[in-house]
Amino acid sequence: MIERGDSTSLLTVQNLTKRFGSEATAIDRVAFSAVAGEILGVIGPNGAGKTTLLEAIAGLLPVDAGEILWCGEPLGLTRRRDAMFYLPDAMRPYRDQSAWQVLSFVASVFRRSDREIGETVAVLGLEPVLRKRVQALSKGYARRLMLALGLLAPHRLLLMDEPFDGFDLRQTRDIVGVLRNETARGRTLILSIHQLADAERVCDRFILLSAGRVRGIGGLAELRAETGLRGGSLEELFLALT
Amino acid sequence: MRLREPYVRSGASIAPLLTKELREIAAGRALWTMLLLVCPLVGYSFAEAVSLYSESSSAALQSSVLAKSLSPLDGVLVPTFGSFYVAVTLLFPFVAIRVLGQEKESGALSLLVQLPYRYATLVSAKLCAVLAAWCLVSIPALSALVIWTMLGGHLAAIETLNLVLGHMLYGLLVGAVGLFAAIISDSSSTAAIIALAVTIGSWVLDFTLAGRSGVLAWIAQLSLTQTLRPFEQGLLSAGLSLGTATVICGLATLTIVWLPPGISLRVKLVRSLSCLFAVAIALGIAAQVRNVVDVSEDRRNSFSSADERLLAGLRLPLTISVNLVPEDPRYIDLRRNVLSKLERAMPNVTVVLVNGRQAVASPSDAYGQIEYTYGNRNDVSRSTSPREILPLLYALAGVQPPAPGSSDEYPGYPLVVNAEAVFLWFFAGLPLLIALAWWWVRRLPSVKPFVLHEGAKP
Repeated sequence: MIERGDSTSLLTVQNLTKRFGSEATAIDRVAFSAVAGEILGVIGPNGAGKTTLLEAIAGLLPVDAGEILWCGEPLGLTRRRDAMFYLPDAMRPYRDQSAWQVLSFVASVFRRSDREIGETVAVLGLEPVLRKRVQALSKGYARRLMLALGLLAPHRLLLMDEPFDGFDLRQTRDIVGVLRNETARGRTLILSIHQLADAERVCDRFILLSAGRVRGIGGLAELRAETGLRGGSLEELFLALT
Repeated sequence: MRLREPYVRSGASIAPLLTKELREIAAGRALWTMLLLVCPLVGYSFAEAVSLYSESSSAALQSSVLAKSLSPLDGVLVPTFGSFYVAVTLLFPFVAIRVLGQEKESGALSLLVQLPYRYATLVSAKLCAVLAAWCLVSIPALSALVIWTMLGGHLAAIETLNLVLGHMLYGLLVGAVGLFAAIISDSSSTAAIIALAVTIGSWVLDFTLAGRSGVLAWIAQLSLTQTLRPFEQGLLSAGLSLGTATVICGLATLTIVWLPPGISLRVKLVRSLSCLFAVAIALGIAAQVRNVVDVSEDRRNSFSSADERLLAGLRLPLTISVNLVPEDPRYIDLRRNVLSKLERAMPNVTVVLVNGRQAVASPSDAYGQIEYTYGNRNDVSRSTSPREILPLLYALAGVQPPAPGSSDEYPGYPLVVNAEAVFLWFFAGLPLLIALAWWWVRRLPSVKPFVLHEGAKP
């Protein structure tokens, strides 16, 4: 189950453990690797530890044990934000500002050109709400705004917590296309998703997480081979492994 | 090799961060609400102060002796800024907390700490926003100064600037307390409780322990309010300013320590202790800096220029042994009229409180005596007046007292004026302007046309 970090992996997570208090273990010796250019889905029900895992990887949560490697070399806490950018779930940053102000702030910080901002706005369809305050955005547009911030970040690895939450089927397909374009440009994405259908549609490989522990890692074919469920859906595979 | 390197920070410009911080603080209701509340508060205090000053001036216009006691610093400036001080103590923590608390509550802080800025830069930008907020909320008090001049009142530039500097330091101190409270609290309401406990607590500490001695006096010194006292008396104290700046920097550093969410509590506590240790050392050094400049126009904190020149030339050590308890009114008089002035004027003065408490318990003739030892000569007096003490010192030093002169006599600035019209400014004009400014600031900016053009693409 535990993958060992090797030099071909962009990111390697080794035995990451996080406890809240003395008893509650949110994630327990989680280990996996992410290869450059792939979309890796962290799959699990609510409370499985997906958000905790992403925050721990991003260095936004102190951990009790474990190590993060970048191209096989240890990546300290202080350099974590140089390597990856994490987009939290259900967040509306700077509610009193307009979507445009928030976008232009992040774009200026990352020295993005006007053309790049324009492209990001276009690809995510944010143009109708640019002058709206963040607090007035619908759930879907708030999610697009967050995605836009992620796309403007120049990091090679993006961690996204529930990126499809708030989107309908058509919108999800559009966003999947956007994310696919990003991986085609060399980005690596690690997405936490609780909707298995969405995950199956977008991810190259999956980490099945339940009660803070990794129950399975691999692509659909590998998971099917592991469970012996030929043609099984991700949902069936998940139920079989957890 | 390049693949192994993560994205390398290119050193983001500070300008967008500062702009964001200023926009955020201006977007909040706390700042504008405070500004609106400060208007009537400062306005009423100013009008009352001018009215009382006018009443005193009526008699002083007939007598130059009475006129000398009329100083705008005491009569108008300190009371007006006093109400501003109350507002800053009670309301400014809310403004400062918002600078960080809003991001913490909305989760935006987790985005902010991922941006390519040092944590110190993030906190410095927030402190700049707090300073900008203080400048905004001080507009009513500063406008009172302008009105005072327009009414024909006198303002001494240096003592006025000194008073404003004192209030600015106090505002920054309260702001830094607010920032630190925000970073260690889960919610803004908890942060407000912590910050108010510090500001109001130190206020209470200040007046309940006033005039006490020993440990209680030392505790009273910790009150934030103590920061303002010398500035209100027309003193610019390098040690106090340095100490206040140290505490502000210390609180900012503690905020930096507690900002990164990925650091464990234990590490944060260890770093905080190291920071507190460093602050304690810095405060100890600041306490040794005894340079104090009397910037009051009436030189209330100094002897006459001739006396000061003569005293500065007395190089031998002067030891003053005071047989009084610190809370004795005679000691308070002596400290204000003589000791503090001597400490600034002479190069080597030591004040010793001797056996005061035992003397109170078992009264003797020695209680109340003050012994002056200069070189190998000494003398004893019970007076607390410089008129008697200075000649005594000159006699001990074997020098001739300076000839009395009137070159630096303070004329006083009596002014009889009706200030009722100022209510119109503070209760209507200024609030209206503030409301307009609030509306203007909250307007959403236009979007660059190229973005809309790009955004229109399918």
